[in-house]
Amino acid sequence: MNRLEELRGPMPSHPHDARAIAALAANPGCARRALMDAAGVDKDRVARHLGFPAPFGQSQFAITRGNVFEALVKENGCAELLRLLRELLGLPIAQVGYQDVESVGSHLRHSHTRALIDRAAREDDGTAVFYDHPLFSLEIAGHTSYLEPDVVAFQIGGRFRIVEIKSFGLIDGQAEPEKVAAAARQAAVYVLALRTLMADLGHDPERVSHDVVLVCPENFANRPAAALVDVRKQLAVLKRQLARMTRVDRLLEGLPRDLTFDLVPDPDGVPTRPADELAGALRQVPARYAPDCLSTCDMCMFCRDEARCDGSTDLLGRQIRDQLGGVSRMTEALGLAEGTLEPAEGQEEIARLLRLADRLREEALN
Amino acid sequence: MSESLDALERRIAELRAEVRRAVKAKENSLARSLRGDLRRAEKAWDEAITAEEPPPKLREPEASLLPIREQVHQALALLGVPTSAKLIVAVNDAFFSRELRGSQLTSLRRDEERSFRSDPYARPYYLCAALTDRLSPARGLLADSSWAPELRVLGPLSPRVDFLTSTMRIAEHLTRLAEPPMGALRLLSRMAQNIPGAVEGFAPADPATAIRAAGAELEVHRAADTAQRTEVAARVARQLPDVERLFGAATMSTLRGAC
Ligand code: SF4
Repeated sequence: MNRLEELRGPMPSHPHDARAIAALAANPGCARRALMDAAGVDKDRVARHLGFPAPFGQSQFAITRGNVFEALVKENGCAELLRLLRELLGLPIAQVGYQDVESVGSHLRHSHTRALIDRAAREDDGTAVFYDHPLFSLEIAGHTSYLEPDVVAFQIGGRFRIVEIKSFGLIDGQAEPEKVAAAARQAAVYVLALRTLMADLGHDPERVSHDVVLVCPENFANRPAAALVDVRKQLAVLKRQLARMTRVDRLLEGLPRDLTFDLVPDPDGVPTRPADELAGALRQVPARYAPDCLSTCDMCMFCRDEARCDGSTDLLGRQIRDQLGGVSRMTEALGLAEGTLEPAEGQEEIARLLRLADRLREEALN
Repeated sequence: MSESLDALERRIAELRAEVRRAVKAKENSLARSLRGDLRRAEKAWDEAITAEEPPPKLREPEASLLPIREQVHQALALLGVPTSAKLIVAVNDAFFSRELRGSQLTSLRRDEERSFRSDPYARPYYLCAALTDRLSPARGLLADSSWAPELRVLGPLSPRVDFLTSTMRIAEHLTRLAEPPMGALRLLSRMAQNIPGAVEGFAPADPATAIRAAGAELEVHRAADTAQRTEVAARVARQLPDVERLFGAATMSTLRGAC
């Protein structure tokens, strides 16, 4: 662990929020982020100091819209949600219990969530169905992160489910796949946190369903609609990533002994380290840039710039990169397509395809 | 009538002109007496016009005349159960055509508590909190101190029971009105959509059907909810001093003791 502290420098370890944890599952192959997260480096600060702040932060308009929609779904003891779940899951009429965990005051929310879930799991009386504003915790590489879901966990037939309320639109039963994927990753974090809590309390973690309920506004109206989303895959990736973060030794191997992401802050915490030097240190750890990074990782602008300068095919997205198997530079791909570059051993097939694609393109343009 | 109104208006216009002239000529005492005449004329005009017009509908004037506290109390009396600021605003708007903003309600509970602490039971009622089964104030719900203690506490089923009850009360109130306001019908329809069998799709709700459907679901929850509420109310009576019976226990020690 000492090596990780050296990587981080004197700043306190940065806690992970649900979005950061969800992002782990978004780009699992990236060593740069795995290492930064494991060391508890504040990626946002680093990116700012490098001059590449992430374009995050939703607009105030979007945040307000999200809050209004969430309030609508939850008002009157989750009356709208009840209707949806009666339709979607056949939630029985009798199951309407509602507990607002936040009523106990914020300092008790975590322990109260625990107590309520324990009681529900033990007694299985089926009355307390919804837990609004629960507070979960999750250990990330030795640090406890608290998760404040905008979700409601509820119990039906002895099983708990996570509800994720999102304000992106559902049009004719369809939502943008990327947005659904992001919501699924985030919900998976909550499923994992609740499963961990269940195991901790001595209950069967499998009682937390891997099907989460996604609630979105339908057809431009504010009327909510619900769908089940299976997050098994996201869970598996997430678990693997978290395990990987606790076994970062392999990532640390082969890195220079004196490598550090330390910002060398002055007494007021203002970074004093030259940005070039810090960038140089980061470049020693391989990244795996993909366009998804733009919506998930604080380092995205820096890594995108790096990939661009390298002419990396990563910029084109994972699918295309994988199709280009083994060709990692755009100049290389273009050279192969135009025949100005001889395919290396094992590249014959991809070179043939690229040339074919190039010819089709020419024909289509003429 | 309108003739005298016209005459009064002419007189008012003349008086205004004379006042201006007197002020300009620095004839202060004349100006003062003319102003007195003007005020009297305007008062006479006010009386004449209200005598002629039918009494104004409860529309605009009400909004500024009734204090917020009274408006909230009336809405609560109509609903009869602990209610969120949002629904209070909606009911107030739908039935009484009064405009209240949610933000105007935020400090209400705190003000009431302060008033109760400094001079307990001085008012006939207080706008107070609903209490959770941990005896803490339920977030965002307002109640009426004159209600039975069982009504002011919440078990896990109570939010639903209270939602069904308020839907029924709104529907009942609608059946009593000769001309049910459109806004109130819309409010009922929206609420009824979340009750099985209360309304057909997006059609406007029929109050009688809504009452029947809400009543049917209420039957399912009533016994369990009553038992839970009675138990919580008994603990409130046993464990809390007067102020906290109305406004909830907020200290950690009380909460710890209650769990
Ligand atoms: S932005 Fe960079 S560090 Fe973050 S996941 Fe993508 S490649 Fe890795």
